[in-house]
Amino acid sequence: MIRILLADDHTLVRRGVRLILEQEPDLSVVAEAGDGAEAVERVRDTEVDLVVLDIAMPRMTGLQAAAEIARRRHPPKILMLSMHDNEQYFFGALKAGASGYVLKSVADEDLVAACRAAMRGETFLYPGVESTLVRDYLDRLRRGERVPASVLTAREDQVIKLIAEGRSSREIAKDLHIALKTVEGHRANILGKLRMRDRVELTRYAIRAGLIEP
Amino acid sequence: MRLPSHLPLFWTICLINGVVLVAAALLLLFSPAQVSADAVPSEFIVVGAGLVVMILTDALLIRWALAPLNRLIARLEDIEHLEPTELPEEGSGPVLGIAQSVNGLLERLAEERRTGDARALAAQEAERHRVAQELHDEVGQSLTVVLLGLKQLESQAPADLVPELAAVRESARAGLDDVRRVARRLRPGVLEDLGLASALAALATEFSDHSSASVRRSFAPGLPALSQEAEVVVYRVAQEALTNAARHADARAVELSLQRLGDRVVLEVRDDGRGFTGLAEGSGLMGMRERAALVRAELSVVSQPRHGTTVRLKVPFEAVGA
Repeated sequence: MIRILLADDHTLVRRGVRLILEQEPDLSVVAEAGDGAEAVERVRDTEVDLVVLDIAMPRMTGLQAAAEIARRRHPPKILMLSMHDNEQYFFGALKAGASGYVLKSVADEDLVAACRAAMRGETFLYPGVESTLVRDYLDRLRRGERVPASVLTAREDQVIKLIAEGRSSREIAKDLHIALKTVEGHRANILGKLRMRDRVELTRYAIRAGLIEP
Repeated sequence: MRLPSHLPLFWTICLINGVVLVAAALLLLFSPAQVSADAVPSEFIVVGAGLVVMILTDALLIRWALAPLNRLIARLEDIEHLEPTELPEEGSGPVLGIAQSVNGLLERLAEERRTGDARALAAQEAERHRVAQELHDEVGQSLTVVLLGLKQLESQAPADLVPELAAVRESARAGLDDVRRVARRLRPGVLEDLGLASALAALATEFSDHSSASVRRSFAPGLPALSQEAEVVVYRVAQEALTNAARHADARAVELSLQRLGDRVVLEVRDDGRGFTGLAEGSGLMGMRERAALVRAELSVVSQPRHGTTVRLKVPFEAVGA
């Protein structure tokens, strides 16, 4: 059973997120908070495995709260929930110690997957940032720069180009006439080979690539 | 020949008239000419001619004295509305005084215009901020609730309703995407939340996502903090310059940099696009200038046909926020 703390200043959003999470038998929301400071307090007095933080909250923003929580001796995993489709927030979240970033506009589809990825110790990339990263990678490859060595299969090569165009897994599956699960598998493999699965590696890459400030 | 510069206009005219009258009087006293009590026609002619000569001399001298004033009037008519240039503080007597007071007036007008513009732009930014915030906090959250609620309903609904519910859910998602896009165009939240460098980096990413040009960015580390007002100006100028590069210049590569130069922070946007000649400036460039003036920043736009355009904004960081 994965114990979750949910923090969002909007009560109804909190309720919606809770209902989505609790449809899964192994996920259970054990605490809620209405702002960042309260979330930090709840982490202190409640044992949780995962914290889902809204990025924009009063008193203490989600990013500040994440940084505070990540400083604990045995910090729970942290997921950010955000309205902003912007890689700067994403990397800001990674730097603060979060291991995933879920856009509210796809929370219905991605939130559960992001929780699972976080519990596995992986980074959850939202679709927009994934294509930004992959495009940056392809640009570097084209310019002949040294990039993390990787050998992609022909199929993965096809998939990575579609990701760079910002296609969703579902669209890619349709285009290539393969199953959705297979696409997801390719995606995971590609990100693994590009070393974009790991929070620390990813942040380092973004800094090196000039995507964010050190 | 110059008149003494401290002489007021009144005395200049008096002096000229005096000189002419004195000359006439001297002529009358020391020349053999005389007028008999009963004037004869020849005397009428001599006196008449003398008078005409006096009036003409007087007129020519006064015209000469007033010439700088006329030049000043011509210059005043040439003063442009947007880029008021100072009058040359030259000339003599009254003209210098007028030039000085007109310059003073222009200075005050410019100052007033700056504060007026500043107030208008600040009000506009504040309003955008408020609308963006409300879109995020109210509309965005409500749509999120709808989206999550529909997802939840879908899992409990009878099978024949599921496709319908899924379609409605996609509409809610599209609405949420729209809200986010509109809010971001109104006001870049990243500027407030993460600072200028991050906001410019996000701008660059967004730009390369939506155009065929590539952006190279370089931001010097440890730049001094600008006032919030100045940061918005830098951001908006960069935004406008990038938009121009993509839309009008057909640029393939753009360099976006932010450095420190002495006591200024310098934003530079350089593209390799078409460039332009003369000042065929669209409203975009005008807007950039107005914004730059707000924080007493210096904007220069250098462009040559086929050699691209460079937009440079120098923001003083001590005078900022004053």
